Amino acid sequence: MIAAFRAAADVYGQYWRINLLTALEYRANFVMWMFFTVIYHATSLIALYVVLERFPSMNGWDFRDMFFLYALWMLAHATNNTFFSTVGDIPDHVRDGEFDRFLVRPLDTLFQAIAIPGHITPDELILAIGTFVAATIYAHVHVDALFVVMVPLIVIGGACIDLGINLAITTASFWFTRVDALRWTVMQLEQEFTRYPIGIYGKGVRLALAFVFPFAFMNYFPATFFLRKTENALHLPPAIGLLTPLVGITFVAASYAFWRFGLNRYKGVGH
Amino acid sequence: MMTLRERVNVPAYFQFAKKAIARESTYKFEVFTAIGSVLVRVYLFKTVWTAVYAQNAAPTSLPLHAAITYSTIALLMGLILDIDQTRLLHDKLHDGSIASDFMKPISVPGYLFSDGTGEVLFHALLIVPALVLSLFFVHVDVPPPLVLGAFALSFVLGYFVGFFLNFLLNCIAFWTLEIHALQMIVTWVTDLLGGQIVPLIFFPLALQGVIYALPFAAMFSTPLLIYVGEIPPSRYLEVMGLQVLWIAILATAATFVWRAGAKRVVVQGG
Repeated sequence: MIAAFRAAADVYGQYWRINLLTALEYRANFVMWMFFTVIYHATSLIALYVVLERFPSMNGWDFRDMFFLYALWMLAHATNNTFFSTVGDIPDHVRDGEFDRFLVRPLDTLFQAIAIPGHITPDELILAIGTFVAATIYAHVHVDALFVVMVPLIVIGGACIDLGINLAITTASFWFTRVDALRWTVMQLEQEFTRYPIGIYGKGVRLALAFVFPFAFMNYFPATFFLRKTENALHLPPAIGLLTPLVGITFVAASYAFWRFGLNRYKGVGH
Repeated sequence: MMTLRERVNVPAYFQFAKKAIARESTYKFEVFTAIGSVLVRVYLFKTVWTAVYAQNAAPTSLPLHAAITYSTIALLMGLILDIDQTRLLHDKLHDGSIASDFMKPISVPGYLFSDGTGEVLFHALLIVPALVLSLFFVHVDVPPPLVLGAFALSFVLGYFVGFFLNFLLNCIAFWTLEIHALQMIVTWVTDLLGGQIVPLIFFPLALQGVIYALPFAAMFSTPLLIYVGEIPPSRYLEVMGLQVLWIAILATAATFVWRAGAKRVVVQGG
């Protein structure tokens, strides 16, 4: 057991070493992607700023509040992207047959698929941490012991929600080989729907964002709690925002069960 | 040397466009996703605009129904304008097949244009179901025929601005092969500074000055503001003249860059 754990840790260490060496090797490319990450988040924030400068209130939230709302989502999302974005490459491995090799090796299949090095660098996570600190100060969030303890747990919980969605889409590739467009669309819609306080949506969408695809737990519920807003989307007690870690773990566990289900039925694509 | 007759072999270019349509239509799943994504975003924009208009003093220009119309038409236009019609050039530079295209009795930019147009025509067909389904969620204003005609013309001009912008970008692949990140950056910047996400008239005045000096507004903003009546008929000549000017500038730049790039292919020996 300990030996297996040590082997996995060793593989994971090598994985990060190769990722960082790759970034150093393709420096121009690395800089361009870093620049894209900045543009990706900056365009969203600028659009938000422009709208809220013209219309200062959205369900009682101003730009400061919504900057914090965005930064919290961004931090959880960047955490998932940094550590688990390779989950999204699994459909490619399934299509080209490389996935079949993982099945006969002695480490966990999902772990092996996650630990394939690529163009992965922690730049988005660093940017997200900086943005979150800036947003916390800008939105005058009261930083106390509860905040310091809960934020990392909420971020991990939020990353688990992201991972759960991603893993479910990846699992769908066992049946439908091409899922790139679906993944890209879901990611886009996630970014757009989490940008606003969910009270603006119709009842059905609010319930879906809270309990079916629980993106509201990534940022809306915790932000409501930390910004001391009244939760008027579903009239739940504000402390529900502290349940994100629990929701995240439950969600990713359900998604992992679906992955195991898919894996047991996986027959390869015919290589 | 290519004869003029070979160069203007029109039926061949129609075949390239037809082939591109057939290729695109095989990705059925992508088609459904694209339409679904537009519908969900139409809902999102309607919800956001309704909320902010109800809770704040309405702006002097662009009433709520016009803002919703603007966003819906912008999303439908995105089905066409967000396509990179000349990606094929990048792909062909990557795998080296561009070398054999240069030997064929065709104009390579003409071939790329036909292929891109075929792809675009296919996506243009998607506008019909996307629009019809959108009408279940939102009311879209329909302007008088003169305005609609001006919008259509301006949209076509916007398409050409986008085509040459993409073409220039893909030409960069002659020098450095990895341009995916750069393309994504340009797409995001186009959507924001072109006025697809938020109408440019909502931007702070100081920023508007900068934005109107860039070509992006000629893609989305000009046709959209014509559609919702923010640009009156008296200014049609001025704004479309500007679009034509951008096409001329970008087309000239594209010609130079293409020539310089095509020479490099020969130098490398294909």
